[in-house]
Formats: sequence, structure tokens, C-alpha cells
Amino acid sequence: MDQEIYLDRNTFFHRLDPRTKILILVVAFVVILYFDNPLWVLPLSLLIILHGFFAKSLINLKRISFILVILTISSMVLWSFFANGEKPLFWVIELEAFEFAIARTLIMLSLVTEGMIFLSTTRTEEFVLGMIRLGLPYRVGFAISTAFRMVPTIVSNVFIIAQAQRSRGLDLDSGNLIERIRKYIPLLIPVFVSTIRNTNVFGMALEAKGFGAQNDRTFYYSSEFNKNDYIVIAFLIILFAVATYLKINGYGTIPGLTKF
Amino acid sequence: MTKTVVSIKDLKYRYRGQPRNALDNINLDLEEGDFLVVMGPSEAGKSTLAATINGLVPHFFKGTIKGDVIVLDKNTREFSVAEMAKEVGMVFQDFEAQLFSTNVELEVAFGPENFGVDRQEIAHRIEENLKLVGLENLKNRPPSTLSGGQKQKLAIASVLAMQPRVLVMDEPTTDLDPISKYGVFKIADELRNREDLTLIVVEHETEEAINAGKILLINEGAPLMYGPAGEILRNVELMETHGVMPLGITLYFSRMGSKYLPLTVEDGLETFKKNKWQISDLSYQKLVEKDKEHLQEHQEPLIICKGLEHTYPNGCQALRGVDLQINRGEIVAIIGQNGSGKTTLVKHFNGLFMPTKGEISINNKPTSEQGVFELGKQVGYVFQNPDHQIFSDTVFDEVAYSLKLRNADEELIKERVAEALEAVGLVGFEKEDPFSLTKSGRQRVAVASVMAAKPEVLILDEPTTGLDYAEQRSMMELVKRLNESGSTIIFVTHHMWVVAEYAERVYVVKDGLIMLEGTPREVYAHEEELTKAFLRPPHLVSLSNRLGKTMLNVEEFMACTSKDGEEY
Repeated sequence: MDQEIYLDRNTFFHRLDPRTKILILVVAFVVILYFDNPLWVLPLSLLIILHGFFAKSLINLKRISFILVILTISSMVLWSFFANGEKPLFWVIELEAFEFAIARTLIMLSLVTEGMIFLSTTRTEEFVLGMIRLGLPYRVGFAISTAFRMVPTIVSNVFIIAQAQRSRGLDLDSGNLIERIRKYIPLLIPVFVSTIRNTNVFGMALEAKGFGAQNDRTFYYSSEFNKNDYIVIAFLIILFAVATYLKINGYGTIPGLTKF
Repeated sequence: MTKTVVSIKDLKYRYRGQPRNALDNINLDLEEGDFLVVMGPSEAGKSTLAATINGLVPHFFKGTIKGDVIVLDKNTREFSVAEMAKEVGMVFQDFEAQLFSTNVELEVAFGPENFGVDRQEIAHRIEENLKLVGLENLKNRPPSTLSGGQKQKLAIASVLAMQPRVLVMDEPTTDLDPISKYGVFKIADELRNREDLTLIVVEHETEEAINAGKILLINEGAPLMYGPAGEILRNVELMETHGVMPLGITLYFSRMGSKYLPLTVEDGLETFKKNKWQISDLSYQKLVEKDKEHLQEHQEPLIICKGLEHTYPNGCQALRGVDLQINRGEIVAIIGQNGSGKTTLVKHFNGLFMPTKGEISINNKPTSEQGVFELGKQVGYVFQNPDHQIFSDTVFDEVAYSLKLRNADEELIKERVAEALEAVGLVGFEKEDPFSLTKSGRQRVAVASVMAAKPEVLILDEPTTGLDYAEQRSMMELVKRLNESGSTIIFVTHHMWVVAEYAERVYVVKDGLIMLEGTPREVYAHEEELTKAFLRPPHLVSLSNRLGKTMLNVEEFMACTSKDGEEY
């Protein structure tokens, strides 16, 4: 039913220019990956949580809570095993590896959260506009936004088709994983056929609305940089500079850790 | 002098790889402010004709074109679809696929944006057009949260925002409930009065064509008749022979031999009185008796719901306590507005959904104890869109699929498939690719594939949507035959005349509750309540209601009319 991720709210962060929103996303993604030590990652994660809080977007994390749990568990297990250190903690896991696993998990969750905040505060149209202002051709931007838009439609199609086949006696629920995957294969045909039939109308409707009729196009939701954008950008530059300086000078590592 | 806006000359068009012309010798001149309705059976070329007006034919589709289409002095051959879009707006049947944006306001802005209209002017157009279609309070809503009717209205507003001189609508109301249909046509009616706009609507529901200025009737690509709407609508025989549903009221008066043929309910009432006809109480009593007899034939309960509730994981409560009973051997219709919970309800009947509260039992056993796999053997379910269930390479494999899954032996499979194909009239198509069939053909394959498993109960979700009148009739005759051979039938539909003619009992669903229940005669007598559920009986039934009795089809009406009085 509710397929939109974007939350229509009027917060400080919603009002920013899409270019600023993209910059926040990029800086957050770069800076948080600098550090291996969870104590250094933590403040950055907190900043992201604050961002989400003031953008009133944390509610959207509920929708992906299941994925977050899976991510946390698998990342904790994987990194604990795959990294090595000197001080044994328990069984084959060393203290350094465990710390590193915490940092990696924090990073992963932060990235997902930041991504979710971005989607919650930015309309597809704004994102496309931002990308175009940064030099992307309109058609490419539109293709990206269409791809986003198609996902929920395809997902709901898959659900209906699975129901249709189950009512015909296709048992999708029993058997081991491989058997179950094999049973889903015939479902792909109706999914493709109905998607292609859809796309055809989509293409016609697009042309019928004058898509690409002329090169200069208006953007109804135009936006310009204002004071708030400059403040945020200044903050991001300082954050980036400080974090980079610290990184280059070797801060934020875990002594004794060997990574693969 | 009025100006010719659309001019079609000797137009012929053939899709690549097709044996016959999709359009054959179409000639048409429309003046500014005209309102043309294009009617005809499936595959008649209606949509192809609509697509020629803005140049989708020949630019988007592949095929060969002869003759010319000239819109406002522009020959569509020489201009791209996007360039034509400035003059010609187009609304499609599929309201999901024609909306691109994340909110209502941006959807309307999309067209003007493409033409570089300045932002203030766009704001003005958004205001004006949303008001016209009655969506001005929903500016910030994402289109995906709108109802079907609202989506179609939004599509119209978004096209009007480009300020086209010609508006083409290709079956804009096919997937809508009766009141939403009416809403869309009311908008069309308002537009008709705008002198600067020429309106072309493809439609196969005749009741919606009454207000047209002209009607063009086509079949197999060739024009059959073109003229003022009243003239065409009164030619009931021509319409019937070409698979177009004639107006019930007009058909009745024509069969009764009335000199004047009315089109509307008001007009019909007046003519009935002027003709000094009477409704015979005795004959009507017989109809009511017959209904009772039918009901008494089926008394053994098969499906029982008590306080059935269903809440989706996202918290949306689709059913809010449904009580119903369906007896073995019945043919039951479930009707209601788009999104009223009809489909959610019937998906409980074969175990696809389990109640979140309340009970549902089939054959005296709760569905939760049986599960969809077990229930599937007793309850067959034909989905609304055949493309959601078809995936085999041949018609034979498709129909045999269920049986193969249940490990039936070769001989039995062959026998059952032959039976099922015979019933749906597809003998000889065993080796065809189901995807190459028409919509009606694919729908038949879908029905056959469910029938072949010989379920006791057959559920059909909108079996007649997207079919033309002749196809709807033959689909429902098929369903009736199945019912007579012992299957219990439950169908969901928006087609009110189908309910009137084929159902023994009706449930009206509104906001997740049963609002009315009874024989079609009982239910259709409550016109006011039906309106609240966004439903309207067919015009003919409305006329009979105005005369104090509820008659469901032309035959019943004729049987109850006495012509003792003087004819005028």
C-alpha cells in the first residue's frame, strides 16, 4: 500500500537545496569510512542520528528494521572472524577483531541510516534536479528516477503473481532453499510480461506529455542556495577537513589489528 | 465559420506482421468543439485510431501507414509525438502506468515543464486544472495513494495542463467503479462545453456515450456508421450485430415497437407514460416467485464467514467484520467501489488470506486448518489480469498445469484439458502460444486452466473487465453453464448489467462491511444506498424502479409490460 519512502515534512533539512542534500550524503559516506576504531566512528554515527532526528525521518528505519538486524548480526560475526589481533577475547576471536567488528557494524548501520534519511528528505524530482544542476543530462536523471519508481510496481506484481500461482496449486512454501528458488523461476515470466506491457504504456504516456519535445525545460520545484545551505556546506567542509587531517595523521586506528 | 481541427483522409494502417489492416479507409473531419465517441468491439481498431491523432501511429508503433492525419494543419507524419503533444493530449486506460511523479502537483506540472512554460504560469495551470477535476485539496498527496477514479482524474488534469486543442481519451473508465466512471464522464461533459477543445473518447460502455455529439462505430478497422449520437444509439440492431451493447432502454422500446425511441431514464419515463403502457402486477409477481424458487434450490451452506476481519501488515483494515453465507450451487456476485475490500474478501475463500480476526469455514472446516494448497483443490480462483497467471509456451500446457502439479495421470490430464478447452471455445488452439491470443482469449485460457482441475467452487475476479459486449456475454454464458453443471460461482465485478442478468444473489461491500445483501432485484431496488456505495444500477433498471418495480433485463421488462392503452 504505502510504497513511498519520501516523507512530506517541512523541516530544516527538507528545505535544503538538493545539491546540499547530495553533499551531506557524500561527505557522510566518505568520512565515516576513514576510521577503524569504534570510539572514533561513534561521534560520526551520533551526528547522523541527530541529522535523522531533526529531519523527522528516523521513523522510516522501522520499515527496514528486519534488514538492519540481519546486517548487524552478519557483520558482527563476519568481521570478528575475518580480522585478527593480538589479545584473545574468547574462542578464536581477539579483542581487536571484536572492536573492529563493532566499528564496521556501526559504519554499515550509519550508511544505511544516512541513505534512508536522504530518501526520506528528498523527492525523486529534487534528486534529479540536483544531479542536473551538477551537470547530469536530464534524460539520464529521468531514467534514474523512473528506475526508482518501477521497483514498487514490480514488487507488487510479484506478490499478485505468486498468489495466482499458489491458488493453482504451486506449493511455494515447502522444500529446501534451492527447491524453493527453483519454484519461483516460472513466476518470472508473468512478471516480465506484465512489466513489459506496462512499460509500453509508460513510454506512450511519456511521449504524449511532450517528454523531450524541446531542450530547455522548466523545473517547477526550482530551488536556489540560501543562507542555510551555506551554513551546512561550511560545516561539511570543516568536518571533512578535520576528519581528513586526523586520518592522514594516523588517528582512529586499532593498534595490533590485521585486516584481510 | 468553425475550423476543422482533425482531418483524417483515407487512412489505412497495418501493424508489422499482421495479416489485416488495423485501420481501413477511415475518413473523418472534426470541427472545433466537437465531441466524438468511437465505439466498436474488441480489436476493432479503436485504440489504434486514437493513437493516430497524436502520432503514436506511425511513430511509436511499427507498421505501414497510408493516407493522412492532419491535426491543426500539422501532418502527423512530419511531427514527433512529443511535438504533437502541444496540440493533442492523450489519456490512457491504464491509470497506473501514466503517472510519473511523486505528488499530485508535480504530476500536473510535468507536461508544461517539458514545454518550458514559466513557473508562475505552471502554478496557475495546476490550480485551475486540479479544481476542474476536483482534486484541489490533494496537491501534496503521492499519486500511488489515490483511488482509481482519482488517478484517472489526475491523468486528465495533467494532460489538460498542457492546454491541448484536442483531447483523446482511450477507454478512460474501463477499470473504474460505476460512480467513478460517472465522475470522469461528468468532467468530459464539462469539457464538451468548452468551445476551444475537441474531444475524442474511445468507449465501449454505451451508457456513457449518450452525451456525445457524434459517434463513430467501427469494426475490423473499417467504419460502419458515423453520425449524430442519437441516430447511432437508436440503431440498436446495428450495434448488437457488431458486438456493441445497445442502450437497455432504447432496446426495450424498440422491441416493444414504440415509434419514438428514448435514450435516457427521464426520456424513457415520459415515453412510457405517453404510450400509456402499464406494468402488469401479475407478471411481476411471477418474476419474484421465480427468484424465491431459485433461492430455495440452494440451501446447503458451503462458505460461512462470521465477523471476518482482515488487517494488512501496514495497519490498513480492509475488512471490518463481514458476515456472509454462500450455499452450494449458487452464483453470487460481489460488488463495491474500487478499494472497498471485495478482492480482499474473496481471497479468503481459497485461503490466500487468513482472517486476522473472526472466522471463515469452507465445507464446515476453518480455512486455517486447510491452507491454500488443500483449498486450491476445491476452490479455483481466476485472477483479474490473465497475464498474472499465464506462463506456459502452449495453451495445452497452461491448462494442464494445475493437474500436473497435483500429479494427475496423462490420460486424465488429456481428457480434462479437452473438456476445459471445449467449454471455453478454444478447441484447436492447443499448440498456440497463449501470449499471442487476444485479451479475451487469454482470459479464456485462464478460466480453462482453473476449470480443468474441476474445483467445486470457482471464484472469478472481474471476469468481464476489458472485454467487449459480445465477449462479456459469452464469458458469462460460459460461467452460467459451469454453474448449471454443479459448480458454485462467486464473481467480483463492476459491470452492473452482468450482475442483473447472471447473479442469483448479490453482496454489496462498502468500506470493508457488507452493506446490502439479496437477490439482484432486492438489491437494485435500493438505488440511494447503492449510490452511497459508489454503484448505480443500469439505466433500464433505474427506469423500472421509477415505475415502482425492479426489472433486471429487457426480457423481464417486456414480459411485464401491457400495451392495453393507446399507442402514440
